Amino acid sequence: MTNIARTMERALGRKRYVWQRALFKVLGHIVVFGVGLFFLVPALWMFFTAFKSSKDVFRFPPTLLPYDNQYVTINGKAYPLYNVPVNGEMRQLAALKIAEGQGTFVNPNDPTEVIETRARYAEPIFTIKFQWRNFSDAINRGVRPGLKVNFWTYLKNSLIVAFFTIIGTLLSCVPAAYGFSRIQWPGRELVFMLVLSTMMLPYQVTMIPLYLLFTETLKWGNSLLPIIVPSFFANAFDIFLLRQFFRTIPEDLVDAARVDGASELHILLKLIIPLSTPILAAITVFTFLWAWNDFLGPLLYLNNPEKFTLAIGLQDFQGQRNTEWNQLMAAAVVFTVPIIIAYFFAQRTFIEGIKLTGTKG
Amino acid sequence: MTLTETLVKPKRRRWSPATRRNFIKGMLFISPWILGFLFFTLYPMASSLYISFTEHHIRTASEWIGLENYLNLLHDRRFWTSLYNTVYMVVIAVPLELLCAFVFAVLLNLKLRGQSVYRLIYYLPSIVPLVASSMLWMWILNTNNGILNVLLGYFGIKGPSWLTDPTWAKPALIIMGLWGIGNTIVIYLSGIQDVPTSLLEAAELDGASWIQRLWYVTIPMVSSITLFNLIMGVIGMFQYFTQAYIFAAAQSGRANNVLGSPLDSTLFYSVYLYDRFSNLKMGYAAAMAWILFAIILVCTLLLLRFSERWTYYEGGER
Repeated sequence: MTNIARTMERALGRKRYVWQRALFKVLGHIVVFGVGLFFLVPALWMFFTAFKSSKDVFRFPPTLLPYDNQYVTINGKAYPLYNVPVNGEMRQLAALKIAEGQGTFVNPNDPTEVIETRARYAEPIFTIKFQWRNFSDAINRGVRPGLKVNFWTYLKNSLIVAFFTIIGTLLSCVPAAYGFSRIQWPGRELVFMLVLSTMMLPYQVTMIPLYLLFTETLKWGNSLLPIIVPSFFANAFDIFLLRQFFRTIPEDLVDAARVDGASELHILLKLIIPLSTPILAAITVFTFLWAWNDFLGPLLYLNNPEKFTLAIGLQDFQGQRNTEWNQLMAAAVVFTVPIIIAYFFAQRTFIEGIKLTGTKG
Repeated sequence: MTLTETLVKPKRRRWSPATRRNFIKGMLFISPWILGFLFFTLYPMASSLYISFTEHHIRTASEWIGLENYLNLLHDRRFWTSLYNTVYMVVIAVPLELLCAFVFAVLLNLKLRGQSVYRLIYYLPSIVPLVASSMLWMWILNTNNGILNVLLGYFGIKGPSWLTDPTWAKPALIIMGLWGIGNTIVIYLSGIQDVPTSLLEAAELDGASWIQRLWYVTIPMVSSITLFNLIMGVIGMFQYFTQAYIFAAAQSGRANNVLGSPLDSTLFYSVYLYDRFSNLKMGYAAAMAWILFAIILVCTLLLLRFSERWTYYEGGER
């Protein structure tokens, strides 16, 4: 076999072979880079739009980076700089006033030199400028007139939901997964099949009775409870992941502990959990993502903006009449940053978790 | 022990004290799940099945109307529209996303410099929260000022009104979906890297070209991943909601969100279900939910059935 390949290689000619490989590499780079642009440009577009001024957002042709008029300070006041043709010569002048097609410009170095000209001859000078104000504007403004609600309200609610959902998921799924993996009881595998089968059930089937239960029977409408409480009652997906992991812990270890008279709870707390930190971290991260992103749950149960999470409150930042894209993107960036930070802290966990959830059926 | 054995066995043997103890322990440990299953799954399922045969009234008791909700669905034009829109996405978007994810994973597996940076770039959009990415794309797809149409303009193409033209609304959502396939790419990438090198080398020595190795070795070796992602993709697509909701809200305004706009072209199954639900047509929405469940079950079973031919599991039989 090897001989055939070698012969072929020789037949192709060493030179041509090398040349082909080089071409292959170059083509590969071009394609990978080209496709990469599709993923990269929208992300950068979001990021840089967040720093644009309202005027810059609609400037044509658009630029990726945020630009704004270059200003010059004369006698303590800022005036925009323009390129103005004066007697056939292009000069940089500060615009005092532009109205009715007529512009009044002055020489920034000599403010006594005033030049009047048709405004359309003047070209504004732009410079890269990051307008950080968008963030404080988006964050601090009262998004709903008459209500004391702003970004911080939504952020607080999102954090409360994420925190308690993580606690609830861990508190309920860890013991359940232990019961499904490390304790031998009759009927276990059958019940576990039932657990798995609940994953097939679409959310919509239980949505209506749960809505009626939470809002009408329990009167939890307009609180975060309907979103938080179910997480304390274990979910199939996390039980499955934890069980898979627990099963990899050698049975001998657990048996040894049992022989020593350790209770099951003791084994779980002192033996299993310390050995399971990778999967616990993965579940924490993914539950956080899930809670942070959840849209339908809050949409169903939260009517009062004081209880909104960021996911459903984000639309408020687009302004009352016209969409202010720069502020909306600023809010979206702020909403995304915690996820990006989580990603860089737990990069391995992320990737391992995805592989775990995506390849084992 | 198989199911038949369990059923046929005449009498259960008496449990030993140890077994009984274990059973009680096991029950205690899984009790959070049992309670959750009873209150948040079993009871709501039974209840929603019942509701689907009734007409819901706010103040007075619900009224039993038999199959009327189900029969009314048959004559509901918007129901069929929503089903059509959803099937459109299932048939076009799901396979397209899988195909792209696989091709991009192959690209990211090429031996090139800087691949770790490219992997990061391909992956990152998928962790941008759906709400944020949907809003970003509303901005990108904006007819006059959106970057996509501006870029198309540079090539002399007049971009369509992605957000307001019913013909282009679903393609717009598909493009948006492709931006977030990073998870699937990662899954495929790990699958491709798990393909035994011995197989690939053997194929290479037999004179298989790069394309042939891909077609005859790699693709069959990742077929179980394809099946799993296909099923998850189909199930997920039948419940497609958030993006469509934000899409519609971007045009009709948050306060008065006309679901499905423009002109019902983004009225997906779950969107219409939510629309009926928020109009307090509880029975109608519950009937839709059960039909959705049936559709998902049938699709999953069909996919499993027809996948046997083209799916390979390591270690022979599954």
